[in-house]
Amino acid sequence: MKLPKFLYFRPKTIEEALATFTAYDGNAVYLAGGTDLIPRMKLKLKKPTAVIDLKGIGELKNVRLEDHKVVIGPLVTLFELSKTPMIKERFPALFEALISTSCETLQMRGTIGGNILQDTRCLFYNQSEFWRKAKGACLKTGGERCHVTGAKECLSNYMSDTAPALLSLEASLKLVGIEGEREIPLKEIFTGNGIFPLSLRPGEILYQISIPNEPSKGGYEKLRLRGSIDYPLLGIALSGSAEKVKVAIGGIGPAPKVWEGKLEDLPSSMEKLSQEIKAIANTILDPLYRRHMIPVLSRRLAKRVFGN
Amino acid sequence: MELIRVQFKVNGEQVDLSVKPYETLLETLRNRLELTGTKEGCGLGSCGACTVLLDGIPVRSCLLLTAEVNGREVTTIEGLKQGDKLHPLQEAFINHGAVQCGFCTPGMILTAKALLDRNPKPTRSEIIRAISSNICRCTGYKKIIEAIESVVQKGER
Repeated sequence: MKLPKFLYFRPKTIEEALATFTAYDGNAVYLAGGTDLIPRMKLKLKKPTAVIDLKGIGELKNVRLEDHKVVIGPLVTLFELSKTPMIKERFPALFEALISTSCETLQMRGTIGGNILQDTRCLFYNQSEFWRKAKGACLKTGGERCHVTGAKECLSNYMSDTAPALLSLEASLKLVGIEGEREIPLKEIFTGNGIFPLSLRPGEILYQISIPNEPSKGGYEKLRLRGSIDYPLLGIALSGSAEKVKVAIGGIGPAPKVWEGKLEDLPSSMEKLSQEIKAIANTILDPLYRRHMIPVLSRRLAKRVFGN
Repeated sequence: MELIRVQFKVNGEQVDLSVKPYETLLETLRNRLELTGTKEGCGLGSCGACTVLLDGIPVRSCLLLTAEVNGREVTTIEGLKQGDKLHPLQEAFINHGAVQCGFCTPGMILTAKALLDRNPKPTRSEIIRAISSNICRCTGYKKIIEAIESVVQKGER
């Protein structure tokens, strides 16, 4: 399978990367591990003029403890992060999400930044150009209507395993762009619109991910067909204590859903949420089944983390 | 289109090439260097047939730009044998009937080699976890697992 033509750049600094992005008038993409971007380029879903490889920028690669937070560089691979003792000890939800992402070899290449900033997915979107041409363009590829619902709303699925875990841990992102830097809670990166699921400004680079340094109980449950390698068809992360748990649900729709409350209220809240959440037939599993599994997996998770 | 000069080691030998920026390592290995032991399966990173080692770490060569490997060291299945002698993992795969059509074998062996290099005494579940990165559609995983376990037991690698 061939890649489309592009130019390749490997800057050594953030400034150089931003200047290259500007020079190509925004028709450039940043490359980290490539496990999400390269397949999308091969499918011609993305045809940039320039690919800017961020791996030459050393400051994006470390994990450290800083004041009251754990700061993670976006280029740390999922595998490296899962082997960092601090992560396993303090943030079990994140640890479980890391080791359940894809397969071990891809965890060794895929980065935490790229995993958070991955595009949404759909049975009608992640297909070859030939396949898509035969079907005609869907909403996300510039067409008039969604192929599944016929409506003008794109409900492609955001399938990061780590982002729900990070949401349950109240992580924040520091972004550096052409117009300066900003720090936002992770949940603000999601637009809820499947066509443009991320609120990144043109040229912005994820500079670091911060998690409040408060050891938590927690875990991650994932619905998938193959245990060996699969995207989540539903992913539920939970962190906190019995008095206050934070739950984030991914894999259904363009943005994860977050719920916070007492552990005793979790089952009824998840029942309610499963009724309200919009799920459509755009994955290999039936949407009703995926919704039904929200209370099932969240109960299972709560029982595993907190006992009976 | 401007070509990019890349210098890297393949199986211990230094290569110096000018490649297209959008050329994958898989294409370079197979088409320029004639190292056709590395296979193209899905081409999208799902199957693991194109696995090679980059500085000892298993990677999907179909997802890697050749431009990215400048200054690095690549090992393919052709680089495992020492002289005329096959690598213990290659011997074990033959002896245990862990090769049927053979298409997944290079990637499977390199994934196993990377595992044994970082963890010489893996448990069965660690072996299964590692080779879950590679899809085999005909041999079945049992014989592959047994082949790797035999190498672990003999302490060869």
